[in-house]
Amino acid sequence: MAAILGRVRFAWLVPMVLAVLGTAGPSSHAADLLKVGLPDEPKTLNVFRASGRWSGRVLALMYQPLLVRDPETLELIPWLAAEMPVYDPEAVTYTVRLREANWSDGSPVTAGDVAFTGRVIREFKVPKYYSKWKFVTRIDTPDDRTVVFHLSGPKAVFLSRTLATPIVPAKEWTRAVEAARKKEKPLRSLMNHRPKTLLSSGPFVLKEWRKGAYLYLVRNDRFFGRGQEIAGRTLGPHIDGILLKFFGTSDAAILALKKGTIDMFWWGIQPGYIEDLERDPNIQLYRCERSALYYMGFNLRKPPFDDVAFRRAVATLVDKQFIIRRILQGMGEEMDTVVPPGNQLWCCPDPRTYGKGLGRADRVRAAYRLLKEAGYSWDVPPVNDRGEVVKGRGIRYPDGRPMQPWTILTPPTDYDPLRAMSGTIIQGWLQDLGIPASARPMAFSALLQQVKTRRDFDAFILAYGSLSLDPDYLRSFFHSDNDKPRGWNMSGYVNPEYDRLAEAAASTIDTQERRRLVWQMQRIVAEDVPYLPLYNPTLVEAVRKGRFGGWVKTLGGIGNLWSFCELKPL
Amino acid sequence: MGLWRYAARRLVQIAGLFYVILTVLFIVFRLAPGDPVERMVDPSMDPEDAEVLMAQLGLDRPVGVQYLYYLKNFVSGDMGISFHYGEPVAEIIADRLPNTVLLFTSSTILAAVVGVLLGKRASWSKGRSTDTVLTFSALATHTVFLPWLALLLIWLFAYRLGWFPITGMVSEDVWLDPGATWWTRAVDVAHHMVLPLASLFLIQFGTFLLVMRSSMLETLKEDYILTARAKGLPERVIRNHHAAPNAALPVLTTIGLSLAFSINGGAITETVFTWPGIGRELVLAVSQNDYPLAQASFLLIAAVVLLANLVVDLLYAVLDPRIRY
Repeated sequence: MAAILGRVRFAWLVPMVLAVLGTAGPSSHAADLLKVGLPDEPKTLNVFRASGRWSGRVLALMYQPLLVRDPETLELIPWLAAEMPVYDPEAVTYTVRLREANWSDGSPVTAGDVAFTGRVIREFKVPKYYSKWKFVTRIDTPDDRTVVFHLSGPKAVFLSRTLATPIVPAKEWTRAVEAARKKEKPLRSLMNHRPKTLLSSGPFVLKEWRKGAYLYLVRNDRFFGRGQEIAGRTLGPHIDGILLKFFGTSDAAILALKKGTIDMFWWGIQPGYIEDLERDPNIQLYRCERSALYYMGFNLRKPPFDDVAFRRAVATLVDKQFIIRRILQGMGEEMDTVVPPGNQLWCCPDPRTYGKGLGRADRVRAAYRLLKEAGYSWDVPPVNDRGEVVKGRGIRYPDGRPMQPWTILTPPTDYDPLRAMSGTIIQGWLQDLGIPASARPMAFSALLQQVKTRRDFDAFILAYGSLSLDPDYLRSFFHSDNDKPRGWNMSGYVNPEYDRLAEAAASTIDTQERRRLVWQMQRIVAEDVPYLPLYNPTLVEAVRKGRFGGWVKTLGGIGNLWSFCELKPL
Repeated sequence: MGLWRYAARRLVQIAGLFYVILTVLFIVFRLAPGDPVERMVDPSMDPEDAEVLMAQLGLDRPVGVQYLYYLKNFVSGDMGISFHYGEPVAEIIADRLPNTVLLFTSSTILAAVVGVLLGKRASWSKGRSTDTVLTFSALATHTVFLPWLALLLIWLFAYRLGWFPITGMVSEDVWLDPGATWWTRAVDVAHHMVLPLASLFLIQFGTFLLVMRSSMLETLKEDYILTARAKGLPERVIRNHHAAPNAALPVLTTIGLSLAFSINGGAITETVFTWPGIGRELVLAVSQNDYPLAQASFLLIAAVVLLANLVVDLLYAVLDPRIRY
């Protein structure tokens, strides 16, 4: 009896469990909905605040710029603009004609929206965009589809950066902007504004954002590109929408992909997962080049890094191919210059290289020779009298002082195991030569603060995961004006000739001439080695087979505007 | 001293302690390495833009002035704006906290109930196979590596068997369906909760089992248990009515503190299961130097732990007639 009563007592659990299990099946109405896994959630959809990768990627599907990059040639092409801007060198103006486009509510995208965007950025000095707009002195709108930008002088980045700014709808933002103007801190008010709805000029429009769970975008039927041929591609979107789901770990996201819960994981697959995914008949892997720079930087403000011979010796010792083979498991390419090889327009083809193709012993001999010629000495030289490579010890500066121990700061293994391991390997190579270097993993925020803000370091290994395709960052990284706290010239590189070239390149409109200058800048950097470029990891992305076709491979992967405009359900 | 006077005195002490915690948190975050702005900038921005960002976050002011604003805001109930979300911290916490409380409080209560019952059973069977199996199980699950356990559960029950969702708290199929009722949605959340709840339960129940077992074994040595046996009372009555209530007092402290700490959530569990709770936010806030969000989260935890301690102390007096304040 007691047993029967016990069963009856818990009988209510049966329908509950059945109901719970009943929700486990796949959706019946998701045929044309692309489900994408993200490793993190966007922090905000306020375009003036958004600084994170995920906010930017989501907003890029809604707010469109005037120009974008062709996915194959990487050349700038008109997008919201009807044609390429017309430059008037006399007046230093660019005239842009807009194509016929509408916001998702049916109202037209006008020159007023473009001017409003630029004026807000300039008036409020919006940090994310201000450097791209500060040289725009005036914006005229002679009619609803024409914008004239007046510049303080010729600027090479105007097309690639200023006109790549997402255009916001004036009518949606006017009230927030006016309210912000009345506040004690207008910029803070603008950046903390939370738009309730988002009008879209792009291929998708926000339907629902359930914080912590998913973000749902539906097709924007008023997207100007729909059915149009742009860059030789007939655009859609042909899918009903995109559902972005958030995953706390790559393990869970990859299981969800294998299970079919998501159609794509919008994040690079780590080398350890690739073999397993390659064996899965339902998974397709795409390998793309990245616009990334993984590099070792030196503090040129202090010895021994203030000596170019020492930096070249370090560059000679570092076997990039070994790092790519052993640490990246072959998933990367060697970098000889700070511009990624995939950026064919700007990557210098003939920078100086160090120790290329040499074995370990020959690298040690070459580095030893460089240092010896520069006056360095050893208690125990790394190459003995018979020319054999031995463990070096007690390196001394040309003036006879012993070299003090120094550190290579790297991110910790839980943040980036590849960079942490690279640091350890480079440390070993340096120690073989008798150089007292040691790798020290450090919390990423602390590392950035130490290197960029405090400038209290010896050497470091850092990376730019997604460099802009415009090479203006060469000016940021190495111009002497940027050698200041928070400046991007973290190495403290000072070279007047380089500064002159960088300034000339920044104001050169002619692409061929600018390329010549940019290549020359790269050659100088390769000679002086303030940064030692290491590698550019291959981006491997995974999608489900048999769900959607039409992924567009470009520099930076298949998760791009073009793919989402061209994907078709299979 | 009466119970209420004791409670009032403790509340004053708690207020003092809370002020100390408030100040220590402010100092710790300002001394911690890392710069809130460095992760918000990119090479296309000028160093001056970073300075503007610092000013927007209020970090350009002297630290003393920041501290005064911090105190003023706290007193007025304003916890500030998150550096990364650009939203009021109070809203972020209000959004995430219920999810954490739902998962972690459920798991703590479940683990406590099962742990206490099994601990009672283990102590009663001391030396026998039941005790060995239960004690070993408690030790094994208590010491297992949580991320591994969580991934194992996901792999087996979500990926291989397909009984549960892989991660998350809700299913878009249900929540985007305009015809879904509150019951369907509640069931959907329950469905998503099973695996994280199971992993937390497995990690937690051993603690309660071992505490209860050890407390029961001590209690069983007491004279009143011998008296009960001498009176010829059935073993079940001795166990459940004489030993267990007294043995449960130390467990009460463990449960009280576990419940208090459950609002902290668990970064690991919430991360692996992508459970949108406060634990993961706290870790992200600390790692990204989001001072307002991190400070408010820690303050919340401190407040709940301090108050939980007070409640446990008061409950002791209610449950044990020997204890008087």
